Amino acid sequence: MVENPGASAGARNLRFLNRPRGLAVEADGEGEPRAIAWQGRFRRVTAIHDRWRIDDEWWREEIARLYFEVELEGGRRLTVFRDLVAGGWFLQSYRAPVVTAGPLGAGGRTL
Amino acid sequence: MDFACIQVPWFAIAVARRDDPRLAGRPVVVGGSPEEHAEVTACSAEAMAAGVTPGMSLRRALALCPGAVFLPLAASVIRAEAERLANLLRERSPAVEEVSEGHLHCEVRGLAQLAGMGAGAYLGALQESLAGATGLPVLAGAATTVFAAHAACSALGLGFRVAGEGGRPRQAIVVVPGREREFLAHLPVEVLPVEPAMHQRLRLFGIDRLGQLAGLPLSALQAQFGPAGRRAWELANGRDDARLQPTAAELRVQEEVELPAPAVCLGALLAGSEAALGRAFGSDELRGRAVRIVTWWAGLEDGTRVSRRLALREPTADPRHVLFVLRGKLETLRLPAPAVRVGVELNGVCSEYAHQQLLWAAGQGRRRELDEAIAQLHARAGEALVFRIVEVQPWSRIPERQLALVTYGS
Repeated sequence: MVENPGASAGARNLRFLNRPRGLAVEADGEGEPRAIAWQGRFRRVTAIHDRWRIDDEWWREEIARLYFEVELEGGRRLTVFRDLVAGGWFLQSYRAPVVTAGPLGAGGRTL
Repeated sequence: MDFACIQVPWFAIAVARRDDPRLAGRPVVVGGSPEEHAEVTACSAEAMAAGVTPGMSLRRALALCPGAVFLPLAASVIRAEAERLANLLRERSPAVEEVSEGHLHCEVRGLAQLAGMGAGAYLGALQESLAGATGLPVLAGAATTVFAAHAACSALGLGFRVAGEGGRPRQAIVVVPGREREFLAHLPVEVLPVEPAMHQRLRLFGIDRLGQLAGLPLSALQAQFGPAGRRAWELANGRDDARLQPTAAELRVQEEVELPAPAVCLGALLAGSEAALGRAFGSDELRGRAVRIVTWWAGLEDGTRVSRRLALREPTADPRHVLFVLRGKLETLRLPAPAVRVGVELNGVCSEYAHQQLLWAAGQGRRRELDEAIAQLHARAGEALVFRIVEVQPWSRIPERQLALVTYGS
């Protein structure tokens, strides 16, 4: 039998998943991704299948992101976003929020 | 010439007339006898001229066209004929798309040069070979776009006549590259692949030809017909970037086993079936993939055949599972003569299929053992190595707030 290591439970032990990863993106004049550095080289964006904006937490550290679901040459699909507050491009998979579970319904505002 | 369209107008009627030449020139209605409460599934041009249309009740068709010949709905015969035509075309083209029964699109890019023929001669030879092999009135159209080829062929079917050698009407048309728009301008709006109701509305607006439609503003067509209007306008103007979507041939695996002696007993039939199933599931084509449909048959001593079709509730790659289901069917089977061979055909092939197993399926005791083993692992490593995924703010629009890892056991 091994004794309890005594690790405390709580928020300190939380490790959030699906955190954004920085990404090198070449954008066009309208701010849409044209090429993305993926697996060691820039790959052309062949199609933008979807785009949506998230604005949230404007009452503390504002979050404003413009997401793009893109297809790269070779057929790979990625979800990337441009941080409209701090700048920069990030890779992050997107899962639609569970609308009924939240205390405030859908939360923030999407344009 | 990149694409060709092959059509047999009024396919079901054409098959019926080929099998019974006495029907030529007479109004024919397919769907059953007029006493049946059924609908017209196909009708000849002569019946249509009398007001009969597909979808109408057979009684109404009889009232409109009392002289019509009513034929039963031989769906399997029609399907088999359509398959035969498609297979003949697949022998002649690398990519064939079946639009409907007796209506096919295929790629013919470079085939005329390969055969050392001109485009017109090649298409004519293709049409004649298909018509000769099937005995059906095959029409063909070819062009650099799918729609132009389709329109050319449909126009022939609608009675658009082009004089060929010796003044006989041609059964095949090649649209000259670069002159698609000019060619399409003369064709009736019925060649457009849109709902028949849209054809009717276009006619009511006084738009009979594609040239008239091409000259209209795009916005006006979009306003009237929505996306279909836009598509029609683009096609009428020769803009077509459609590509073929070839139909993938369905994978079927067949195996047959000769029985050592004529048999009627269940044990012998099952033993033969087990051997046939084992071979079929072990074949290279399947490579461990699951199947949904199994057709079993027994070849009898008197030369006849008895078959049973099993549609499995869940796909399986396990011959024992199929044998279990088959046993239930065979237990009630009474063979009219001893079987000399049994066989199976597997189809409805899908990818590998399995159920997700539960990690804790063995119950609380197993769970406690696992908890202790993980606690021991954490103690030995001095840090957490095993985590659970928990929902933190599943309602959040910010993806990184939704899920988190927590140390297992905390």
